[in-house]
Amino acid sequence: MDAVEYFEVECPEKTGGDYYRRIADVVLLDHNLIRVVRKLHIFIDPRIPLFVATGVTRKLPGVVRIRDFADVNVQEQKVTISLGEETYLAPLLKILWGRYGKEKIEQPDRFTIVIRSEGAELKEIEDIPVYDPTESLYKDLIYAMQVIQPEGFKVRRQYYGKEKFYLVASENTLPENVEEIVREKFALMGETL
Amino acid sequence: MNLVPVTYKGGIYRHDEIMDLIEDLGGYVIQKHVLAQEVVLQALVPKDDIPLIASIARPLTGEIVPSPLVGTEIAVVTMSLEIHHLPHASCDVAEYIRRNGAKTNMVGLSRGFGKRIAQLNDEERDVINEHDLVIFLLGDFQTCIQHKFPVLRRGITIPIVISGGPDKETLQKIIDPPVDGYVGNVGRFMHRTKESEELEKLDEVVSEITRVLENKREEMSKDPPSVSPARLMDVINEQVEEIHDVLSPTPVTVQMMGLRVKLPYDTFAPVLRKLTLEGEVKVGEVADVVPSRMRDYILIRIKPFSETNIMV
Repeated sequence: MDAVEYFEVECPEKTGGDYYRRIADVVLLDHNLIRVVRKLHIFIDPRIPLFVATGVTRKLPGVVRIRDFADVNVQEQKVTISLGEETYLAPLLKILWGRYGKEKIEQPDRFTIVIRSEGAELKEIEDIPVYDPTESLYKDLIYAMQVIQPEGFKVRRQYYGKEKFYLVASENTLPENVEEIVREKFALMGETL
Repeated sequence: MNLVPVTYKGGIYRHDEIMDLIEDLGGYVIQKHVLAQEVVLQALVPKDDIPLIASIARPLTGEIVPSPLVGTEIAVVTMSLEIHHLPHASCDVAEYIRRNGAKTNMVGLSRGFGKRIAQLNDEERDVINEHDLVIFLLGDFQTCIQHKFPVLRRGITIPIVISGGPDKETLQKIIDPPVDGYVGNVGRFMHRTKESEELEKLDEVVSEITRVLENKREEMSKDPPSVSPARLMDVINEQVEEIHDVLSPTPVTVQMMGLRVKLPYDTFAPVLRKLTLEGEVKVGEVADVVPSRMRDYILIRIKPFSETNIMV
């Protein structure tokens, strides 16, 4: 966990806390998320019982647009997109089908897409957002937190966005002041939600 | 004759001689694994003949080691079959016990997780009770173990060993009434056990289980079963043709006071009851043949000598 700026597990039982520190470490490492997390504070109180994980992520890569991975060539009758890599092909095709209709999209080979459309603007096409990595990354983070938390805590509240995330879980109804608790934990890391 | 559980490891070449030798000496081969060029035999052999087997095995580069868990069936109870508990620590423990000769069955509870919400249903309870010993793999928190364990142990009649995150002394303090064995510092973890410290912990699990089973053996020796389970296994293997068509790794599983026979109950229970052991003695007279809660298997519970007054 050296890559993480701040990492604390807060627990009234010392042995249990130490185990969970190791568990959190292993899970984040296994899910390839250790480089994503900048700060992480985990609070577990088995007496209530309550599990609160709050964290701050590093700066995440931005939205991927067509120009990031393909060359666009606009001609009079058609637009040719030459792909540099196939990673985003599936989401791109889906977007193009939705925008122009399936009958106008052709794929002569794996790395080429031809749009039969007149008067298309180069800039407009190049700027089409294809994939937002933050969405899936935050989902992965929340999933990892669910793997870390003690099993059976089925009542959950989660939030992610703006480089921050939290997961609160319990087997009972969550306490009313749960937002307050989360804010406190963020404050311990020197952050505000 | 005092039979002791051993494991024989050697090459596949001429291993049948060792098997014949064990049988000629009055021992029983309980399980045979063939792994490529290797053979592992788990057997019960007369104590005095171990040096003889060792000397015959030496030219074949085979070795014979005592393994006290051979001939026992152990339930490894994990709180659920979710990623939180599998494959580590549950499989690590089950596999380690298996390497020491026991037949382990993993019982994943349907609602064993949590603190207040933990439960044990009747099927799970009955399946666990069909074993010689149960090891409960509990979590990391003392509070949770203290709260949920009374629910999980309800109705369990066999010896219990528990393992959990807190140290042994803490476990002994919070479990009331006491159970038969405790292993501390083996709670929930999510990495593979390969460091020497962790393997030592697994060794501790094995030695604790061995200790508890030795106690049980001692208790049993005061009123021994009317027929040795291994001998009964031999009789079934000889007289019931269909057992050889069963594809399970152990069609007849040997326990300390009985057997699990992996044949359908309705068809084969009457057949098993009528098997002759020696002279006029039939299996039905010295044992209860009952349906197992595990699939459609048959469970044979051998009655103690005090009940039958027969010793085969």
